[in-house]
Amino acid sequence: MSYTSVEFLAYLACAAAAYRLCPVRARSTLLLILSYLFYCTWDIRAAGLLAGATLFTFFAGKSVGDRPSHHRAELTAFLVVCLLTAYLMFFKIAAVMPGGEWGRVVMPLGLSYYTFKLIGYLVDIHWGKIQPEQRLVAFAAYVAFFPQIVAGPIQRAGDFLEQVPPDRMSIPDGVLRIAWGIFKKLVIADSLAPGVAYVFAHVKDLHGAALLTGFYLYPLQLYVDFSALTDIAIGTGLLFGIRSPENFNRPFTASSISAYWRRWHMSLTTWLTDYVFTPLRMATRYAGKIGLAFSITVNMVAIGLWHGLTWGYFTFGLVHSFYLIVDALSVKRRARFLSVRPKLDSLASGLGCILTFHMVALALVFFRARSVGDAAWLLSHALSHWSSLGADLLQLAAAAGSHALVVGIAGYAILEIAERRRPDLWWRRTRPVVPRWVRWSVQSAVVTFLCVGVAMLLAQPSGPNQHPFLYAIF
Amino acid sequence: MPFTTRIEVLEALTPVFREVLDDSALVLRENMTAADVEGWDSLNHIDLIVAIEKKFKVRFTTSEVTSLKNVGELADLVQTKLATSH
Repeated sequence: MSYTSVEFLAYLACAAAAYRLCPVRARSTLLLILSYLFYCTWDIRAAGLLAGATLFTFFAGKSVGDRPSHHRAELTAFLVVCLLTAYLMFFKIAAVMPGGEWGRVVMPLGLSYYTFKLIGYLVDIHWGKIQPEQRLVAFAAYVAFFPQIVAGPIQRAGDFLEQVPPDRMSIPDGVLRIAWGIFKKLVIADSLAPGVAYVFAHVKDLHGAALLTGFYLYPLQLYVDFSALTDIAIGTGLLFGIRSPENFNRPFTASSISAYWRRWHMSLTTWLTDYVFTPLRMATRYAGKIGLAFSITVNMVAIGLWHGLTWGYFTFGLVHSFYLIVDALSVKRRARFLSVRPKLDSLASGLGCILTFHMVALALVFFRARSVGDAAWLLSHALSHWSSLGADLLQLAAAAGSHALVVGIAGYAILEIAERRRPDLWWRRTRPVVPRWVRWSVQSAVVTFLCVGVAMLLAQPSGPNQHPFLYAIF
Repeated sequence: MPFTTRIEVLEALTPVFREVLDDSALVLRENMTAADVEGWDSLNHIDLIVAIEKKFKVRFTTSEVTSLKNVGELADLVQTKLATSH
Protein backbone atom coordinates (compact mmCIF):
# COMPACT_ATOMS: atom_id res chain seq x y z
CA MET A 1 0.00 0.00 0.00
CA SER A 2 1.81 3.12 -1.24
CA TYR A 3 1.59 6.32 0.80
CA THR A 4 0.25 8.14 -2.26
CA SER A 5 -2.49 5.61 -3.06
CA VAL A 6 -6.19 6.17 -2.53
CA GLU A 7 -6.24 2.90 -0.55
CA PHE A 8 -3.76 4.35 1.94
CA LEU A 9 -5.72 7.58 2.36
CA ALA A 10 -8.91 5.57 2.90
CA TYR A 11 -7.09 3.39 5.45
CA LEU A 12 -5.77 6.52 7.13
CA ALA A 13 -9.24 8.11 7.36
CA CYS A 14 -10.78 4.96 8.89
CA ALA A 15 -7.81 4.49 11.24
CA ALA A 16 -7.90 8.12 12.44
CA ALA A 17 -11.68 7.90 13.02
CA ALA A 18 -11.26 4.71 15.09
CA TYR A 19 -8.38 6.31 16.98
CA ARG A 20 -10.46 9.39 17.75
CA LEU A 21 -13.19 7.23 19.29
CA CYS A 22 -10.72 5.02 21.17
CA PRO A 23 -10.11 5.74 24.89
CA VAL A 24 -6.63 7.18 25.46
CA ARG A 25 -5.45 4.22 27.56
CA ALA A 26 -6.20 1.79 24.69
CA ARG A 27 -4.55 3.87 21.98
CA SER A 28 -1.17 2.09 22.18
CA THR A 29 -2.92 -1.21 21.46
CA LEU A 30 -4.86 0.32 18.57
CA LEU A 31 -1.68 1.88 17.19
CA LEU A 32 -0.01 -1.53 17.30
CA ILE A 33 -2.96 -3.22 15.54
CA LEU A 34 -3.09 -0.48 12.87
CA SER A 35 0.66 -0.76 12.29
CA TYR A 36 0.62 -4.54 11.89
CA LEU A 37 -2.48 -4.41 9.65
CA PHE A 38 -0.61 -1.96 7.42
CA TYR A 39 2.51 -4.14 7.47
CA CYS A 40 0.54 -7.31 6.67
CA THR A 41 -0.79 -5.74 3.46
CA TRP A 42 2.82 -5.98 2.30
CA ASP A 43 3.80 -9.45 3.58
CA ILE A 44 2.44 -11.44 6.49
CA ARG A 45 5.66 -13.52 6.89
CA ALA A 46 7.72 -10.34 7.19
CA ALA A 47 5.30 -9.20 9.92
CA GLY A 48 6.25 -12.38 11.80
CA LEU A 49 9.94 -11.47 11.52
CA LEU A 50 9.19 -7.95 12.72
CA ALA A 51 7.30 -9.32 15.72
CA GLY A 52 10.13 -11.78 16.47
CA ALA A 53 12.84 -9.09 16.34
CA THR A 54 10.68 -6.85 18.53
CA LEU A 55 10.09 -9.51 21.21
CA PHE A 56 13.75 -10.53 21.18
CA THR A 57 14.96 -6.93 21.68
CA PHE A 58 12.29 -6.17 24.29
CA PHE A 59 13.44 -9.01 26.57
CA ALA A 60 17.13 -8.42 25.75
CA GLY A 61 16.63 -4.78 26.78
CA LYS A 62 15.22 -5.92 30.13
CA SER A 63 18.17 -8.23 30.63
CA VAL A 64 20.69 -5.46 29.85
CA GLY A 65 18.79 -2.95 31.97
CA ASP A 66 18.58 -5.22 35.01
CA ARG A 67 22.41 -5.14 35.11
CA PRO A 68 23.10 -8.35 37.07
CA SER A 69 26.74 -7.31 36.61
CA HIS A 70 28.36 -4.69 34.43
CA HIS A 71 30.35 -7.22 32.39
CA ARG A 72 27.35 -9.47 31.83
CA ALA A 73 25.22 -6.51 30.74
CA GLU A 74 27.98 -5.37 28.40
CA LEU A 75 28.36 -8.85 26.92
CA THR A 76 24.58 -9.21 26.46
CA ALA A 77 24.34 -5.79 24.79
CA PHE A 78 27.27 -6.62 22.51
CA LEU A 79 25.82 -10.01 21.49
CA VAL A 80 22.34 -8.61 20.85
CA VAL A 81 23.72 -5.75 18.73
CA CYS A 82 25.78 -8.31 16.77
CA LEU A 83 22.72 -10.51 16.22
CA LEU A 84 20.56 -7.60 15.08
CA THR A 85 23.33 -6.44 12.75
CA ALA A 86 23.67 -9.99 11.37
CA TYR A 87 19.88 -10.10 10.85
CA LEU A 88 20.11 -6.86 8.84
CA MET A 89 23.20 -8.00 6.93
CA PHE A 90 21.63 -11.34 5.97
CA PHE A 91 18.92 -9.60 3.96
CA LYS A 92 21.33 -6.98 2.60
CA ILE A 93 23.64 -9.77 1.35
CA ALA A 94 20.71 -11.75 -0.05
CA ALA A 95 19.61 -8.68 -2.02
CA VAL A 96 22.87 -8.59 -3.98
CA MET A 97 23.37 -12.34 -4.42
CA PRO A 98 22.57 -13.85 -7.82
CA GLY A 99 19.27 -15.81 -8.14
CA GLY A 100 18.86 -19.40 -6.92
CA GLU A 101 18.05 -19.97 -3.27
CA TRP A 102 19.11 -16.42 -2.40
CA GLY A 103 16.74 -15.03 -5.01
CA ARG A 104 13.77 -16.25 -2.98
CA VAL A 105 14.77 -14.16 0.03
CA VAL A 106 12.79 -10.92 0.04
CA MET A 107 13.97 -8.00 2.15
CA PRO A 108 11.30 -7.17 4.78
CA LEU A 109 9.69 -3.76 4.38
CA GLY A 110 11.50 -1.07 6.39
CA LEU A 111 14.15 -3.52 7.65
CA SER A 112 16.98 -0.94 7.64
CA TYR A 113 14.85 1.47 9.65
CA TYR A 114 13.43 -0.81 12.30
CA THR A 115 16.70 -2.66 13.01
CA PHE A 116 18.35 0.72 13.63
CA LYS A 117 15.51 1.58 16.03
CA LEU A 118 16.07 -1.73 17.87
CA ILE A 119 19.87 -1.34 18.04
CA GLY A 120 19.56 2.28 19.23
CA TYR A 121 17.08 1.24 21.95
CA LEU A 122 19.39 -1.45 23.28
CA VAL A 123 22.52 0.74 23.25
CA ASP A 124 20.64 3.58 24.96
CA ILE A 125 19.70 1.18 27.78
CA HIS A 126 23.29 -0.05 28.03
CA TRP A 127 24.59 3.52 28.19
CA GLY A 128 22.02 4.35 30.87
CA LYS A 129 20.28 6.98 28.75
CA ILE A 130 16.89 5.27 29.07
CA GLN A 131 15.32 2.59 31.25
CA PRO A 132 14.04 -0.66 29.68
CA GLU A 133 10.46 -0.17 28.50
CA GLN A 134 8.02 -2.14 30.67
CA ARG A 135 5.04 -1.87 28.28
CA LEU A 136 5.48 -4.50 25.55
CA VAL A 137 2.54 -3.12 23.53
CA ALA A 138 3.94 0.43 23.56
CA PHE A 139 7.40 -0.84 22.60
CA ALA A 140 6.02 -2.98 19.75
CA ALA A 141 3.99 0.02 18.54
CA TYR A 142 7.21 2.09 18.54
CA VAL A 143 9.09 -0.45 16.41
CA ALA A 144 6.24 -1.08 13.95
CA PHE A 145 4.77 2.46 13.94
CA PHE A 146 3.36 2.43 10.42
CA PRO A 147 4.00 6.06 9.41
CA GLN A 148 7.73 5.51 10.04
CA ILE A 149 8.17 1.87 9.01
CA VAL A 150 8.55 2.45 5.25
CA ALA A 151 11.32 5.07 5.30
CA GLY A 152 11.71 6.58 8.78
CA PRO A 153 12.36 9.07 10.22
CA ILE A 154 14.36 6.91 12.65
CA GLN A 155 12.90 8.12 15.94
CA ARG A 156 14.68 7.36 19.22
CA ALA A 157 12.83 5.08 21.62
CA GLY A 158 12.82 7.56 24.50
CA ASP A 159 11.39 10.32 22.33
CA PHE A 160 8.56 8.09 21.03
CA LEU A 161 7.67 6.24 24.21
CA GLU A 162 7.28 9.36 26.32
CA GLN A 163 4.46 10.37 23.92
CA VAL A 164 2.61 7.06 24.36
CA PRO A 165 -0.33 6.82 24.82
CA PRO A 166 -0.98 10.00 22.86
CA ASP A 167 -3.85 12.06 24.26
CA ARG A 168 -4.04 14.69 21.50
CA MET A 169 -4.43 14.30 17.73
CA SER A 170 -3.10 17.15 15.57
CA ILE A 171 -5.46 16.58 12.64
CA PRO A 172 -5.28 19.94 10.75
CA ASP A 173 -1.46 20.07 10.96
CA GLY A 174 -1.22 16.40 10.00
CA VAL A 175 -3.56 16.69 7.00
CA LEU A 176 -1.72 19.75 5.65
CA ARG A 177 1.68 18.11 6.04
CA ILE A 178 0.45 14.97 4.24
CA ALA A 179 -1.08 17.10 1.43
CA TRP A 180 2.19 19.02 1.06
CA GLY A 181 4.10 15.72 0.82
CA ILE A 182 1.72 14.31 -1.79
CA PHE A 183 1.98 17.53 -3.82
CA LYS A 184 5.78 17.42 -3.71
CA LYS A 185 5.84 13.78 -4.73
CA LEU A 186 3.25 13.78 -7.51
CA VAL A 187 3.84 17.22 -9.02
CA ILE A 188 7.57 17.82 -8.59
CA ALA A 189 9.45 14.57 -7.92
CA ASP A 190 7.44 12.48 -10.41
CA SER A 191 7.90 15.18 -13.07
CA LEU A 192 11.66 15.05 -12.63
CA ALA A 193 11.69 11.22 -12.51
CA PRO A 194 11.38 10.38 -16.26
CA GLY A 195 14.28 12.68 -17.25
CA VAL A 196 16.56 11.28 -14.55
CA ALA A 197 15.54 7.68 -15.30
CA TYR A 198 16.20 8.19 -19.00
CA VAL A 199 19.68 9.65 -18.48
CA PHE A 200 20.81 6.97 -16.02
CA ALA A 201 19.38 4.17 -18.19
CA HIS A 202 21.20 5.42 -21.31
CA VAL A 203 24.41 6.84 -19.86
CA LYS A 204 26.70 5.51 -22.60
CA ASP A 205 24.38 6.64 -25.43
CA LEU A 206 24.26 10.27 -24.31
CA HIS A 207 26.63 13.24 -24.42
CA GLY A 208 27.50 16.40 -22.50
CA ALA A 209 24.33 18.43 -21.97
CA ALA A 210 22.01 15.43 -21.56
CA LEU A 211 24.35 13.79 -19.04
CA LEU A 212 24.76 17.08 -17.22
CA THR A 213 20.97 17.43 -17.00
CA GLY A 214 20.84 14.07 -15.21
CA PHE A 215 23.71 15.18 -12.97
CA TYR A 216 21.80 18.29 -11.86
CA LEU A 217 18.27 16.87 -11.75
CA TYR A 218 18.90 13.72 -9.73
CA PRO A 219 19.81 15.52 -6.45
CA LEU A 220 16.65 17.62 -6.82
CA GLN A 221 14.48 14.57 -7.53
CA LEU A 222 15.97 12.59 -4.63
CA TYR A 223 15.53 15.45 -2.18
CA VAL A 224 11.94 16.22 -3.21
CA ASP A 225 10.96 12.55 -3.33
CA PHE A 226 12.51 11.61 0.01
CA SER A 227 11.43 14.77 1.84
CA ALA A 228 7.89 14.23 0.47
CA LEU A 229 7.92 10.74 1.96
CA THR A 230 9.11 12.23 5.26
CA ASP A 231 6.36 14.88 5.13
CA ILE A 232 3.73 12.18 4.71
CA ALA A 233 5.29 10.12 7.53
CA ILE A 234 5.45 13.09 9.92
CA GLY A 235 1.94 14.26 8.96
CA THR A 236 0.53 10.77 9.48
CA GLY A 237 2.25 10.58 12.85
CA LEU A 238 0.61 13.87 13.85
CA LEU A 239 -2.83 12.43 13.02
CA PHE A 240 -2.15 9.83 15.72
CA GLY A 241 -0.66 12.32 18.17
CA ILE A 242 3.01 11.37 17.63
CA ARG A 243 5.61 14.04 16.86
CA SER A 244 8.38 12.56 14.71
CA PRO A 245 11.86 14.04 14.22
CA GLU A 246 12.53 16.11 11.10
CA ASN A 247 14.74 14.63 8.40
CA PHE A 248 15.65 17.66 6.28
CA ASN A 249 16.50 21.30 6.75
CA ARG A 250 16.93 22.79 3.27
CA PRO A 251 20.09 20.75 2.56
CA PHE A 252 21.06 22.52 -0.66
CA THR A 253 21.50 25.82 1.17
CA ALA A 254 24.44 24.32 3.13
CA SER A 255 27.70 26.18 2.50
CA SER A 256 29.96 23.26 3.46
CA ILE A 257 29.79 19.49 3.27
CA SER A 258 29.67 19.10 7.07
CA ALA A 259 26.75 21.58 7.16
CA TYR A 260 25.08 19.56 4.39
CA TRP A 261 25.20 16.39 6.49
CA ARG A 262 23.61 18.26 9.39
CA ARG A 263 20.69 19.06 7.06
CA TRP A 264 20.28 15.84 5.03
CA HIS A 265 18.55 12.65 6.28
CA MET A 266 19.14 13.98 9.79
CA SER A 267 17.56 11.08 11.67
CA LEU A 268 20.01 8.63 10.02
CA THR A 269 23.09 10.85 10.30
CA THR A 270 22.48 11.66 13.99
CA TRP A 271 21.88 7.93 14.63
CA LEU A 272 25.20 7.00 13.01
CA THR A 273 26.97 9.89 14.75
CA ASP A 274 25.77 8.68 18.15
CA TYR A 275 26.18 4.92 17.71
CA VAL A 276 29.05 4.58 15.20
CA PHE A 277 31.09 7.77 14.80
CA THR A 278 31.30 8.90 18.44
CA PRO A 279 32.24 5.44 19.89
CA LEU A 280 34.87 5.03 17.14
CA ARG A 281 36.15 8.56 17.69
CA MET A 282 36.38 7.91 21.44
CA ALA A 283 38.33 4.69 20.79
CA THR A 284 40.74 6.50 18.44
CA ARG A 285 40.84 9.84 20.22
CA TYR A 286 44.54 9.72 21.04
CA ALA A 287 45.46 8.84 17.44
CA GLY A 288 45.14 12.45 16.30
CA LYS A 289 44.16 13.19 12.72
CA ILE A 290 44.51 9.56 11.66
CA GLY A 291 41.90 8.61 14.26
CA LEU A 292 39.59 11.32 12.94
CA ALA A 293 40.07 10.25 9.31
CA PHE A 294 39.50 6.58 10.21
CA SER A 295 36.30 7.33 12.16
CA ILE A 296 34.91 9.53 9.39
CA THR A 297 35.69 6.91 6.73
CA VAL A 298 34.04 4.05 8.64
CA ASN A 299 31.01 6.21 9.41
CA MET A 300 30.49 7.44 5.84
CA VAL A 301 31.07 4.01 4.29
CA ALA A 302 28.51 2.67 6.81
CA ILE A 303 26.04 5.33 5.61
CA GLY A 304 26.67 4.25 2.03
CA LEU A 305 26.37 0.51 2.70
CA TRP A 306 23.25 1.01 4.84
CA HIS A 307 21.49 1.61 1.50
CA GLY A 308 22.75 -1.69 0.08
CA LEU A 309 25.91 -3.75 -0.40
CA THR A 310 26.93 -2.43 -3.82
CA TRP A 311 30.12 -0.80 -5.11
CA GLY A 312 28.10 2.29 -6.01
CA TYR A 313 26.94 2.87 -2.41
CA PHE A 314 30.45 2.05 -1.16
CA THR A 315 32.00 4.62 -3.51
CA PHE A 316 29.35 7.15 -2.48
CA GLY A 317 30.38 6.70 1.17
CA LEU A 318 34.08 6.84 0.33
CA VAL A 319 33.73 10.05 -1.70
CA HIS A 320 31.83 11.70 1.18
CA SER A 321 34.44 10.54 3.70
CA PHE A 322 37.12 12.25 1.57
CA TYR A 323 35.03 15.45 1.47
CA LEU A 324 34.47 15.40 5.23
CA ILE A 325 38.12 14.71 6.10
CA VAL A 326 39.23 17.68 3.96
CA ASP A 327 36.45 19.78 5.52
CA ALA A 328 37.43 18.83 9.10
CA LEU A 329 41.15 19.39 8.54
CA SER A 330 40.70 22.77 6.85
CA VAL A 331 37.86 24.26 8.90
CA LYS A 332 40.07 26.32 11.24
CA ARG A 333 42.19 27.76 8.41
CA ARG A 334 39.09 28.72 6.44
CA ALA A 335 37.53 30.37 9.49
CA ARG A 336 40.73 32.33 10.23
CA PHE A 337 41.05 33.41 6.59
CA LEU A 338 37.50 34.75 6.59
CA SER A 339 37.70 36.30 10.07
CA VAL A 340 40.22 38.88 8.81
CA ARG A 341 38.32 39.40 5.55
CA PRO A 342 34.70 39.96 6.65
CA LYS A 343 33.74 41.42 3.26
CA LEU A 344 34.34 38.02 1.68
CA ASP A 345 31.98 36.26 4.11
CA SER A 346 28.80 36.36 2.03
CA LEU A 347 30.71 35.63 -1.19
CA ALA A 348 32.35 32.60 0.45
CA SER A 349 28.97 31.44 1.73
CA GLY A 350 27.42 31.68 -1.74
CA LEU A 351 30.36 29.97 -3.44
CA GLY A 352 30.32 27.37 -0.65
CA CYS A 353 26.66 26.55 -1.45
CA ILE A 354 27.39 26.11 -5.15
CA LEU A 355 30.51 24.02 -4.51
CA THR A 356 28.74 21.86 -1.90
CA PHE A 357 25.83 21.17 -4.27
CA HIS A 358 28.24 20.04 -6.99
CA MET A 359 30.16 17.82 -4.57
CA VAL A 360 26.88 16.23 -3.42
CA ALA A 361 25.69 15.77 -7.01
CA LEU A 362 28.98 14.12 -7.96
CA ALA A 363 28.77 11.59 -5.12
CA LEU A 364 25.11 10.92 -5.96
CA VAL A 365 26.09 9.84 -9.48
CA PHE A 366 27.69 6.77 -7.87
CA PHE A 367 24.58 6.36 -5.67
CA ARG A 368 22.19 6.41 -8.65
CA ALA A 369 24.08 4.92 -11.60
CA ARG A 370 23.54 1.26 -12.46
CA SER A 371 27.26 0.60 -11.97
CA VAL A 372 30.45 2.38 -10.98
CA GLY A 373 31.46 2.12 -14.68
CA ASP A 374 28.32 4.04 -15.70
CA ALA A 375 29.01 6.66 -13.02
CA ALA A 376 32.61 7.12 -14.19
CA TRP A 377 31.40 7.38 -17.80
CA LEU A 378 28.83 10.04 -16.92
CA LEU A 379 31.36 12.11 -14.99
CA SER A 380 34.04 11.83 -17.65
CA HIS A 381 31.70 12.64 -20.58
CA ALA A 382 29.43 15.27 -19.03
CA LEU A 383 31.64 18.11 -20.23
CA SER A 384 32.24 16.85 -23.76
CA HIS A 385 30.32 17.12 -27.10
CA TRP A 386 29.00 20.62 -26.45
CA SER A 387 28.69 21.20 -30.19
CA SER A 388 25.57 18.99 -30.17
CA LEU A 389 24.00 20.77 -27.18
CA GLY A 390 20.66 21.51 -28.89
CA ALA A 391 20.27 18.04 -30.36
CA ASP A 392 21.15 16.37 -27.02
CA LEU A 393 18.62 18.39 -25.08
CA LEU A 394 15.92 17.82 -27.71
CA GLN A 395 16.60 14.08 -27.52
CA LEU A 396 16.25 14.16 -23.73
CA ALA A 397 13.12 16.32 -23.87
CA ALA A 398 11.53 13.96 -26.40
CA ALA A 399 12.33 10.91 -24.27
CA ALA A 400 11.43 12.34 -20.86
CA GLY A 401 8.70 14.79 -21.89
CA SER A 402 9.52 18.49 -22.08
CA HIS A 403 6.30 19.34 -20.23
CA ALA A 404 7.30 17.15 -17.28
CA LEU A 405 10.81 18.63 -17.16
CA VAL A 406 9.47 22.19 -17.11
CA VAL A 407 6.88 21.36 -14.43
CA GLY A 408 9.53 19.59 -12.35
CA ILE A 409 12.07 22.40 -12.51
CA ALA A 410 9.50 25.18 -11.97
CA GLY A 411 7.96 23.14 -9.13
CA TYR A 412 11.35 22.80 -7.50
CA ALA A 413 11.86 26.58 -7.66
CA ILE A 414 8.47 27.09 -5.95
CA LEU A 415 9.41 24.52 -3.33
CA GLU A 416 12.67 26.33 -2.50
CA ILE A 417 10.80 29.64 -2.12
CA ALA A 418 8.09 28.04 0.03
CA GLU A 419 10.64 26.36 2.30
CA ARG A 420 12.54 29.63 2.66
CA ARG A 421 9.52 31.88 3.26
CA ARG A 422 7.39 29.33 5.21
CA PRO A 423 3.94 30.78 4.35
CA ASP A 424 2.36 28.27 6.77
CA LEU A 425 4.16 29.83 9.75
CA TRP A 426 3.34 33.35 8.51
CA TRP A 427 -0.34 32.37 8.23
CA ARG A 428 -0.36 30.92 11.74
CA ARG A 429 0.87 34.27 13.09
CA THR A 430 -1.40 36.36 10.88
CA ARG A 431 -4.64 34.37 11.07
CA PRO A 432 -5.93 35.81 14.36
CA VAL A 433 -5.67 39.42 13.16
CA VAL A 434 -7.08 39.26 9.61
CA PRO A 435 -10.79 39.90 8.78
CA ARG A 436 -13.05 36.88 8.71
CA TRP A 437 -13.53 36.98 4.90
CA VAL A 438 -9.75 36.71 4.39
CA ARG A 439 -9.65 33.73 6.76
CA TRP A 440 -12.47 32.05 4.89
CA SER A 441 -10.85 32.74 1.51
CA VAL A 442 -7.54 31.22 2.55
CA GLN A 443 -9.21 28.23 4.17
CA SER A 444 -11.32 27.68 1.02
CA ALA A 445 -8.14 27.79 -1.07
CA VAL A 446 -6.56 25.18 1.20
CA VAL A 447 -9.62 22.91 0.93
CA THR A 448 -9.56 23.33 -2.87
CA PHE A 449 -5.87 22.43 -2.85
CA LEU A 450 -6.66 19.27 -0.87
CA CYS A 451 -9.51 18.32 -3.24
CA VAL A 452 -7.25 18.80 -6.26
CA GLY A 453 -4.68 16.61 -4.51
CA VAL A 454 -7.20 13.79 -4.00
CA ALA A 455 -8.32 14.17 -7.65
CA MET A 456 -4.68 13.87 -8.75
CA LEU A 457 -4.31 10.74 -6.67
CA LEU A 458 -7.33 9.22 -8.39
CA ALA A 459 -6.00 10.22 -11.81
CA GLN A 460 -2.40 9.10 -11.34
CA PRO A 461 -1.09 6.29 -13.48
CA SER A 462 -0.88 2.85 -11.96
CA GLY A 463 1.36 -0.13 -12.56
CA PRO A 464 4.64 0.40 -14.39
CA ASN A 465 3.96 4.10 -15.02
CA GLN A 466 3.84 4.85 -11.31
CA HIS A 467 7.05 6.12 -9.71
CA PRO A 468 7.60 4.46 -6.33
CA PHE A 469 9.24 6.45 -3.54
CA LEU A 470 13.03 6.26 -3.97
CA TYR A 471 13.71 5.68 -0.27
CA ALA A 472 10.98 3.10 0.29
CA ILE A 473 13.29 0.26 -0.84
CA PHE A 474 15.71 0.29 2.07
CA MET B 1 41.09 20.31 45.23
CA PRO B 2 41.20 23.37 42.94
CA PHE B 3 37.70 23.13 41.39
CA THR B 4 35.02 22.84 44.03
CA THR B 5 32.03 24.47 42.32
CA ARG B 6 30.38 24.19 38.95
CA ILE B 7 31.19 27.85 38.24
CA GLU B 8 34.89 27.22 38.87
CA VAL B 9 34.85 24.25 36.50
CA LEU B 10 33.05 26.36 33.87
CA GLU B 11 35.69 29.07 34.22
CA ALA B 12 38.44 26.49 33.76
CA LEU B 13 36.62 24.96 30.77
CA THR B 14 36.32 28.29 28.94
CA PRO B 15 39.95 28.57 27.69
CA VAL B 16 39.81 24.92 26.55
CA PHE B 17 36.67 25.63 24.49
CA ARG B 18 38.20 28.83 23.12
CA GLU B 19 41.36 27.03 22.06
CA VAL B 20 39.68 24.01 20.41
CA LEU B 21 36.87 25.97 18.75
CA ASP B 22 39.21 28.83 17.82
CA ASP B 23 36.90 31.47 19.29
CA SER B 24 38.63 33.85 21.71
CA ALA B 25 35.36 35.62 22.60
CA LEU B 26 33.41 32.49 23.57
CA VAL B 27 31.62 32.73 26.92
CA LEU B 28 30.29 29.45 28.31
CA ARG B 29 26.84 29.17 29.87
CA GLU B 30 25.51 26.18 31.75
CA ASN B 31 22.59 25.59 29.36
CA MET B 32 24.73 26.01 26.24
CA THR B 33 24.68 23.20 23.65
CA ALA B 34 26.61 22.55 20.43
CA ALA B 35 23.70 24.13 18.52
CA ASP B 36 24.40 27.46 20.27
CA VAL B 37 28.10 27.63 19.36
CA GLU B 38 29.22 28.16 15.79
CA GLY B 39 31.85 25.64 14.79
CA TRP B 40 31.07 23.12 17.56
CA ASP B 41 29.94 19.93 15.83
CA SER B 42 30.31 16.16 16.06
CA LEU B 43 33.57 16.30 14.07
CA ASN B 44 35.44 18.34 16.70
CA HIS B 45 33.43 17.34 19.77
CA ILE B 46 35.86 14.57 20.70
CA ASP B 47 38.83 16.96 20.20
CA LEU B 48 37.17 19.05 22.88
CA ILE B 49 36.75 15.99 25.12
CA VAL B 50 40.44 15.05 24.71
CA ALA B 51 41.52 18.63 25.54
CA ILE B 52 39.33 18.56 28.68
CA GLU B 53 40.76 15.16 29.67
CA LYS B 54 44.29 16.58 29.38
CA LYS B 55 43.46 19.79 31.23
CA PHE B 56 41.80 18.08 34.21
CA LYS B 57 43.75 14.78 34.02
CA VAL B 58 40.57 12.68 33.89
CA ARG B 59 39.19 10.04 31.47
CA PHE B 60 35.69 9.84 30.10
CA THR B 61 33.81 6.82 28.77
CA THR B 62 31.75 6.76 25.56
CA SER B 63 28.47 6.46 27.45
CA GLU B 64 29.36 9.47 29.59
CA VAL B 65 30.22 11.55 26.54
CA THR B 66 27.10 10.57 24.58
CA SER B 67 24.82 11.26 27.56
CA LEU B 68 25.86 14.91 27.97
CA LYS B 69 23.07 17.36 27.15
CA ASN B 70 24.75 20.72 27.72
CA VAL B 71 27.85 22.48 29.06
CA GLY B 72 26.45 22.40 32.61
CA GLU B 73 26.29 18.59 32.52
CA LEU B 74 29.85 18.49 31.20
CA ALA B 75 30.98 20.67 34.12
CA ASP B 76 29.13 18.33 36.52
CA LEU B 77 30.82 15.31 34.98
CA VAL B 78 34.26 16.90 35.31
CA GLN B 79 33.48 17.77 38.94
CA THR B 80 32.37 14.18 39.66
CA LYS B 81 35.50 12.76 38.03
CA LEU B 82 37.73 15.10 40.02
CA ALA B 83 35.95 14.23 43.26
CA THR B 84 36.37 10.48 42.71
CA SER B 85 39.99 10.77 41.61
CA HIS B 86 41.10 12.53 44.80
